[in-house]
This record gives sequence, C-alpha cells and structure tokens, in this order.
Amino acid sequence: MNYRTKASLFRFGLYAFLWIVVLFCLFPVAWMIIISFKQVGESITGFNALRIHTPTLANYKRLFELIPIWRNLYNSAFTAVVGTATTLFFCSLAGYAFAKYRFPGRNALFYFVVGTMMISTEVGAVPLFVLMRRLGLVNSLWSLIIPRMATAIGIFYLRQYMLDVPDEILDSARIDGCSEFGIYRRIVVPVAKPALASWASITIIARWNDFFWPLLFLRASEKYTLMVSVSMLPVSEGLSTPWQVVLAGTSLVIVPSIILYLFMQLYQQADLVAGAVKG
Amino acid sequence: MKPMWKALKRHRYAYLFISPYLILFLVFQLVPTVSTIYYSFTEWNGLRPPRWIGWRNYQLMFRDYMFRDAVRNTFLYWIVGTIGIMTLAMGIALALNTKKLRLKHFFKTATFLPYVCASVAMGLIFRMLFEEHVGLVNEIIALFGGERVPWLASSKYAWFPVVTLFIWRLTPWFTMIILSGLLNISEEYYEAALVDGASTWQRFVHITLPLLGNILFFCFITITVDAWRIFNESYVLSGPGTSNTSLFELMYRSAFTNFRLGYGSALGVVLVVILLALSLIQFVVRRRTGEI
Repeated sequence: MNYRTKASLFRFGLYAFLWIVVLFCLFPVAWMIIISFKQVGESITGFNALRIHTPTLANYKRLFELIPIWRNLYNSAFTAVVGTATTLFFCSLAGYAFAKYRFPGRNALFYFVVGTMMISTEVGAVPLFVLMRRLGLVNSLWSLIIPRMATAIGIFYLRQYMLDVPDEILDSARIDGCSEFGIYRRIVVPVAKPALASWASITIIARWNDFFWPLLFLRASEKYTLMVSVSMLPVSEGLSTPWQVVLAGTSLVIVPSIILYLFMQLYQQADLVAGAVKG
Repeated sequence: MKPMWKALKRHRYAYLFISPYLILFLVFQLVPTVSTIYYSFTEWNGLRPPRWIGWRNYQLMFRDYMFRDAVRNTFLYWIVGTIGIMTLAMGIALALNTKKLRLKHFFKTATFLPYVCASVAMGLIFRMLFEEHVGLVNEIIALFGGERVPWLASSKYAWFPVVTLFIWRLTPWFTMIILSGLLNISEEYYEAALVDGASTWQRFVHITLPLLGNILFFCFITITVDAWRIFNESYVLSGPGTSNTSLFELMYRSAFTNFRLGYGSALGVVLVVILLALSLIQFVVRRRTGEI
C-alpha cells in the first residue's frame, strides 16, 4: 500500500467515525420529536416509529390537559433567567476581587473556594430541606436561586479571565476618582464581557435542565418547573401515559435548549470555558 | 485585634466583594454538611424531633442489601463511565483536531448537542429506546438475530441504560476540554517527531498524552465527582428494586420518600467521605509523581 492510498483510507475512516458519532448524538433527539407528532393508536415499535401517517398535535394538546404547562414554563424560565443573572453578578464580583486585589488571606481563601468544588452541595440535602422549610422557602422559586447566587466554579472561571485585565487601567481610573464599585461596573464588566457571556450561556442551560433541587424544594404541581412536571408524566395518568404524550413533553423541554444552544453559539462559548482549564 | 481590624478596613472592598460567596457557602453548604453528620446519628421522621441513636444508622447500613447494591452500582457507573467518556472524548477530540477537516464547524456543533439536552428528558427517551418489546435497541438486536434483552425489567441489565445515558450526555463536555488542550500543543513537537521518524501511535503516546496530562487529570476528577453523585439518570431509568439505584438516589429515597431522614443523612456522610477520600488519593498520587 503506497502513501496516497493509506492517506485516503485514513480520511475515509475519519469521516466515517465522525458521521457515526453525529448519528448517535442527533438520533435520540430526532426520534423523540418525530414520535411526539404521531397519533396514539399508531405503532411505535422499532423502526415503525419513524413512519408517520397522519401527523398530529393531539399529543401536545393532551399535555396541556395533564400538567399546568404555562405555569411550569414560567417557573422554569424565571429560575433560569434570574438565577443566571444573580450568579453572574456575584461570581464576577468575587472573581474580580480574587484576580485584582491584594489582601491578606487571598491565596488561602482562593484555595478554599477551589477545594469546595470537590464536595457536592447535594450531600447536605436533608438539613438544607429543613432550613428551607424554616425560611418558608419550600415551594418558592427563590429556594432554587438564593443558594447558588455565588458558586465556586463560577468564581474560579471568571477569575481566570479577569487576571488578564491590565492593572494600569484600573489604577488610572482610581486616580481619576472612580469608586471601587464604579471600576467594576465601568471597566471590569465591559472588558470581561466574552467570559461573562460564555458563563451565562452555560449557566442558563444548566439551570433550565436542573432537576434535583426543584424536585426537592417544590412540592405542588403549580410550583413545579417544567422538568419536574415532565419527569412525572409516565405515571401521571393513573395507569400509564402513552409514549407519544411523554415524548411531546420531553420535546417541550429539550427543543428550547437546542434553540438557545444554536442561537447563542454555545459551542464557541463552551470552548472559551474549556480554554480556562489550562494544562 | 487592632492590626486585623486595620487590614479589614484597608481591604474592605475585596472582602466585601467576596463576602456574598462566603456567606452563602456558610449558610447553604457548610452548615448543612456539618448538620448532616449530626442527623446521621439520629432517628428522625421529620415530624417529631430527632432522637439520638448513636452508630445505629451506620450499623444498619452495613447490613442493608440496598446499600450494598447502591455502592456496587455507583462504583460500576464510575468505572464504566470514566473509561467510556475518556476514550470517546479523546477519540472525538483527536478527530475534530485533524487538519483540513471539512465541515469542522458542523461536526463540532453536532457532537456537542447531547450536553445541552436535559438528562431527565433524555432518560425518558432512553426508557423507550431500551423498552423490551417496542424499544429500538432490541429491534436492532433482533435484526441481527440476537435475543431480546429485558433491559430495564431485569436486575441483571438495568445498569446498562443508566451508564449509557451518563456517557452519552457528558462525553461532549470533555471532548471540548480535551480539544482545547490539543489546540495548545505546539506544532513544533510533532514536526520534530516526524523528522525522527516517529509513527502516528508513537507521537500520540510520547507527545500528545504527556502534554495533556494535567487536562486529562482534570477530566478524571470531574467525571469522578459527577459519577458518585449520579442521580437523574438512575432516578428516571429505575429498574426493579435497587438493581440500578445509585448511592445518591438511595439517599434521596430514604430521606424524602420513606422519611427516614436520619438514615438518609448517614448515606450523605458516606458520600462525603468517599469524595474526600478520592480527592485525597488523587492529591497524594500527584504529589508523589511530582506533578504538584
């Protein structure tokens, strides 16, 4: 085998591999969306699922009767948006302090922040639930927002980026009489915009997809986020909900995040975040 | 006291900017974690005040077959998940890093897609795909003349859909991280190796892998933590009994479905100990190999 055939064989293998991976990535999602438009009576066995005779919106209609969709949708959107905005503000503030201020205990505090990333908050779920009940936050969307208004991982990522903000600009602003918070707002935030945008897009999707905490803290169907409502679909109709209706529900959850993903160019954003993990 | 006060005053902005995190950490992470330890020594149903019972919850745990199942399952998810994700992510990242790859943007966008899909919703789809009679997986197996497998209906195979979903959803994230590491490797290393006549495999083993060391280690730690706190996947794809229950799911079910809050807390403590031990081992290993 000469060099040319070997190279083209390699190319062929490469593209074959990538197309197979793409197939595996897209297939379950496409499958779900297709079945959600099928009539309940039609066969969904194996490949029959892909043959739609009469596309229908009946499954989505049924969904609106089963769960309070608008209410749940609002709950999900509210927690995702407000949660992301608050976490962005507090994480960038702390990240800025760690990156640009010299103060006693800075390194120790920073290692502490990094260290807390190893222990997941979820292990304290029992006392946290008790605490939320005492604060009257069970069944409140704020129970999902407040505990994560500042997260270690967010601080870690935004700090990495803010290290590159030149000290000279900050100092000259100080000489011009700019307040410390004014420096953060007028100089640091604009400079760090790419990092803030990428962290925002990743956070908003993670919050939209959040399941454990809403399941724990929200205990009435009016208060559920969409994710919790949808997870209960298979058993919510007494015996069992038809697959078509369940998959209409999951489509309703997943399609917005895919649109958001394509719209926000999340791919490039995630690339930026990954770049912060230096070798 | 005085110099400390002075330092606080002088650097008040720095402390002020960090304080929200510290306060939130204290209230919503440190205090709950420490209280978990206290509650783990009590019997408590959430209505009456907790009653101190010493080590009973822990003694109970080690005789509990559900606990043994959960540890075995989570361990399995950790091992299979780590191997699966690392291998796939490395393969896909290397492929995406090929020079002059056509449709690169499309491939990157498409292979990242699973990461944005909610694991709970995907779990429901996987439930259908792995269904014994109508599921596509069995249909394909039958097409090749194999026996239909009762995936989620048997305690023997129920772990498989869970770990498949775990790998499916998380691989893209680590592909991204490894790819960004590959982009940082200078072209010169490879050129020098080519001059020396190194094969593709030799270049991978002697250049790519060592230079990615830190990144791969970072991936390994992250996957480890994610695997030991698997919840959504096993919750949505639950098999018979505790056949594929994760440790974390067992904690949730003990505490919030069966209202054995003390026992649930004890399981939480075990999880903390495991996570701490794993990070300690990793730290020691790296110190010994001189990486820190």
